[in-house]
Amino acid sequence: MTSGELTRVEQPVEGPFSTRQLLRLDEALRIADQVTGLNFSIYLGELGESTRETAEDLHRRTRTPSRSVLVAVSPNQRKLEIVTGSDARKRITDRDAKLAGLSMAAAFAGGDLAGGLLIGVDQLATHAGRS
Amino acid sequence: MIIPAVVIGAVATLVLTGSDRSKPSRRYRPGQPFDFPAMWLSAAPEKTAAPALTADGHHTAPAIERGLVIEDSSGAPVRPGPTGGASDKW
Repeated sequence: MTSGELTRVEQPVEGPFSTRQLLRLDEALRIADQVTGLNFSIYLGELGESTRETAEDLHRRTRTPSRSVLVAVSPNQRKLEIVTGSDARKRITDRDAKLAGLSMAAAFAGGDLAGGLLIGVDQLATHAGRS
Repeated sequence: MIIPAVVIGAVATLVLTGSDRSKPSRRYRPGQPFDFPAMWLSAAPEKTAAPALTADGHHTAPAIERGLVIEDSSGAPVRPGPTGGASDKW
């Protein structure tokens, strides 16, 4: 999507986001990764009965879990989980994550899925600071 | 009197026929079914140095750090581990 770079911001043909929203999400994740040195990712889907456990399991599947920040959102269950790896949590405290989660939940409650995700990534990256 | 009626009729026509009803609406509405398949979104990772561990291979940060509290989506404290974060709902 961005020239000269490989990105994995993709969705099924009939996904919940418009092309413009996908581009914005791609840019937000890329900038967050570049500025912080951490690995940000978003999961959108069901999180099972134990949402926290499922989110942590998904987090373990990321490339470098210790440096990964996962934002897992289940629109049907109306729940979100933010998981920070052992190194990432030194820069993004649980309180920071809670604040980002509050902002995201407020946006989701208003029906703004893409906007909420953008707010969350931006806030988490801001809290993490530069690498 | 005729002109306002024509204008109202034109606007109403545009509103009712403007959206493509053959495709499902993408807009997320809380409480409405979210029928899209699960997806991952991530940017390609940049080349970064691997995180360093201590000489004996353990993480330097203790499992419990002062001021760090993990809560599940109901607000109940969750046993801390190597990961942190937060939960919320709407």
